[in-house]
Amino acid sequence: MLDRDELVRYDRQLRIPDFGEAAQKKLKISHVVIAGVGGLGCASATYLVAAGVGHITIVDFDVVELSNLNRQVLYWEEDIGAKKVTVAQKKLSRLNPTIEITPVWAEITEQNASSIISGAQVVVDGLDKLDARLALNAACIRQKIPYVYGGVSRFRGMMTTIIPGETPCLACFNPEGPRGLGVIGMIPALIANLQALETIKLLMGQKPSLAGKLLRFNGNDFKFRIYDIEKNEACQVCSQGLLS
Amino acid sequence: MIIIVNPAGKVTREGLLNINMPWLCAPWPEAREEGVCEAEVEGDTLRALLTTLAEAYKKAGVDFEPINPRTNDMDEDYDVLVNDKNYVTIPDGLNAKLKDGDRVKLKILWRWDG
Repeated sequence: MLDRDELVRYDRQLRIPDFGEAAQKKLKISHVVIAGVGGLGCASATYLVAAGVGHITIVDFDVVELSNLNRQVLYWEEDIGAKKVTVAQKKLSRLNPTIEITPVWAEITEQNASSIISGAQVVVDGLDKLDARLALNAACIRQKIPYVYGGVSRFRGMMTTIIPGETPCLACFNPEGPRGLGVIGMIPALIANLQALETIKLLMGQKPSLAGKLLRFNGNDFKFRIYDIEKNEACQVCSQGLLS
Repeated sequence: MIIIVNPAGKVTREGLLNINMPWLCAPWPEAREEGVCEAEVEGDTLRALLTTLAEAYKKAGVDFEPINPRTNDMDEDYDVLVNDKNYVTIPDGLNAKLKDGDRVKLKILWRWDG
């Protein structure tokens, strides 16, 4: 049931014919985990909170630094030195006090990934390390929770939606690539908003747009490229059952 | 020059374990059937091969641009190895001449920053 304030707050999205009250109610009872509240996570958290996702867990082990402020828009100068999850919870709650926001100050590892994502309908990637992403990916596969990968550097970004049992997982590709290349702030904001939109579609029960597809955006030439990707039958994470 | 490809883009226990760009596996029908495709390459360098491949994929509807037209070097989304050596470590880099039996491996570089 949506109350009077909610009907006003979400009016512009309630007007969308294939969204409406039914979708809004689904969002209200949903739980999303955002792993990492850096450049990606700040943007996806903001828009998922604004859209009315009822319960959001934000996970990060870092504190705010001056060098974060070119892209991590939930943090301001006065927040430097504070835990990101604490600041983010405070700001997000001021944006939409009806949302339950659970801050988890932890680094995601193989040991804790499963417990952190337990109970979520969708996990949104906002991490900045491959090993943490692979731990999260494996936990999502085990618990059959969709995982919306996003990654950025320089003027470019990538995204795919991993549906356990249906699409390739992150480990299928033995992915490689350097990190710490720097990034312009609009790129994580762009990729994170696509992740947030995909998350909303998943929560609504709609078919995700990037399941089994890899989206690459190049801010140098403004090209979006989308490729079909296929499961690796030898993948040690998502295809073990297929091999004898 | 004969180019050997993984025709179906599938990865199996017998096949490639670390395929990075399955969509680049022979999107044209005859190559999928035969597992091998032939291409006329103007020149005998790594650059010529990549340019020819890009044109072939473009005709097959795959937007693959490994050489960045702005820098005239490898685009930062890709890496290329010749006989398991990164192209930057071999003499002449992209302009290195290829010979019979050379194995060229293309990889996409994923994005990890957040």
